[in-house]
Amino acid sequence: MNPTLSRPAWLLLARLGAVALILALWQTVVSAGLLPSMVPGIADVASAIVTSLSNPLFWGALGRTLLAALAGWMIATVVGVVLGLLIGSIRFLDRSTSILIDFGRSFPVLALMPVVIMLLGSTTTMEIVVVALSALWPVLVQTIYGARRQEAAVADTVAVFRIPAGLRFRRVLLPGAMPFIATGVRISSAISILVAVGVEVISQAPGIGRQITLMQQNQQWDVAFAYLFFTGLVGWGIAVGLQKIEDKLLTWKRQMND
Amino acid sequence: MTIQDSPAAATTHVMQVRGMSMSYGTGAAFNPILQDLDLDVVAGEFVSIVGPSGVGKTTLLRCLSGLLTPQAGTITVSGDEVHGPHPDLAVVFQDYSRSLMPWMTTRENVAFPLQGKGLGKAERNALADENLAAVGLAGQGDKYPWEMSGGMQQRVAIARALAYQAKVLLMDEPFASVDAQTRFDLEDLVLKLQHELGVTILLVTHDIDEALYLADKVVVIAEKPATVVDVIETGFGEDRDQLATKADPRFAEARARIMHRLKKD
Ligand SMILES: Nc1ncnc2c1ncn2[C@@H]1O[C@H](COP(=O)(O)OP(=O)(O)OP(=O)(O)O)[C@@H](O)[C@H]1O
Ligand SMILES: [Mg+2]
Repeated sequence: MNPTLSRPAWLLLARLGAVALILALWQTVVSAGLLPSMVPGIADVASAIVTSLSNPLFWGALGRTLLAALAGWMIATVVGVVLGLLIGSIRFLDRSTSILIDFGRSFPVLALMPVVIMLLGSTTTMEIVVVALSALWPVLVQTIYGARRQEAAVADTVAVFRIPAGLRFRRVLLPGAMPFIATGVRISSAISILVAVGVEVISQAPGIGRQITLMQQNQQWDVAFAYLFFTGLVGWGIAVGLQKIEDKLLTWKRQMND
Repeated sequence: MTIQDSPAAATTHVMQVRGMSMSYGTGAAFNPILQDLDLDVVAGEFVSIVGPSGVGKTTLLRCLSGLLTPQAGTITVSGDEVHGPHPDLAVVFQDYSRSLMPWMTTRENVAFPLQGKGLGKAERNALADENLAAVGLAGQGDKYPWEMSGGMQQRVAIARALAYQAKVLLMDEPFASVDAQTRFDLEDLVLKLQHELGVTILLVTHDIDEALYLADKVVVIAEKPATVVDVIETGFGEDRDQLATKADPRFAEARARIMHRLKKD
């Protein structure tokens, strides 16, 4: 072991090593002919990635998908947070909706797609609706947890100082539930991208998912894999970004746990 | 205890409690806590309520602050019958560190109740800074509660109650979880603020010395269910000193009387 390397440097090395191992394994399996011939080798995918970078069609499709995912995700976040705070802080609502929410969170929205397509067509609107319906649950469930767990002392304080409902909602319930909301929002971001791509694959609504299907139909497997790679990269980038924002926003939570 | 019922006396009473009873649970779990309790608090007075652990002090304070509704009796604050938190009351909770919101700076914590009262931002912040300075935390408004010691957090909770400009401050064992020296400092701070601002303070404690040292009037509650068993006017005047006042023969006499009262049951 190299004692001059710091711990983060080691971690980075280890992570790169893991990626290299997977790639090597892939290449070995492909070269050995263990997989159907349509699975491309690493060099093919790499060159397809480079070519895609200068392909406006690719960027346009990826942009469409991301916009639809973003729209659905934002709707899910706003609706989930508002509903979740209401439900979690009003015991009557909490009790009366719990069955509905347990049912909804395990409902396979993708299976409902034929109906949604019939209603809205293979459009971006349809895509946004399906994304929002799928991404809603993690935010909603987490926000309800967060709103339920208000400190008794905080609730007493709010009551004694006669804080009006709207102010309590914004400055007490929302920040108090924020650590839970953040987790829900992060989970939902990943779901949004996955569902957006999936919806495009199934419904042929325009976007990167549809491009992936088209490339597969054209036998351009290397390009299809390159697009898949980009989709994963975007999802990963968003998760990392959100974690950074979360760390900044929730300093108080980390400090309190110390 | 003496009960003054003349209308003239009622006007100077900022708080009056008559025949209050409170219990938890029903049926087999029925647990009577307070029984037929009377209390008079005159404007500007410092009243200590002292009683053993578990006697129902917190329950009493929660009833007075409108957080709990007693089963029987009446509570009036500034002449209004209490049916919920009254605008003339502010509370410093025993669990002070949890009653401060960790996502707000100390200034925001102190200013927050004023936002509920509809004050503008500049006015709120000015009042917050003023009251933080009054409790010895000048210039600390940008810190978060979790960056502060327990004693400092308790000062923030006091500043918040003061800034709210309530007539009556209710305090539930406010100094129970800080070290002895911090406790003496906070006791003297509260006495000083009370004299400067003329606010009425009702403090609940199980510590007989603290109750006597701070109060103009000590109300002793005991028994199960709890009721008022003694009321003592301390008569120490405004100038109090942790050593001199506690060495006063009247202090020892009053303390003996309270201990005797509490032991008898
Ligand atoms: N919410 C509640 N539900 C049922 N019983 C309660 C509740 N709160 C308190 N009690 C009971 O009422 C009694 C009095 O409690 P309370 O907290 O008022 O006493 P206290 O004098 O403040 O005690 P301490 O000195 O420990 O703070 C206790 O026996 C307690 O178990
Ligand atoms: Mg108590």
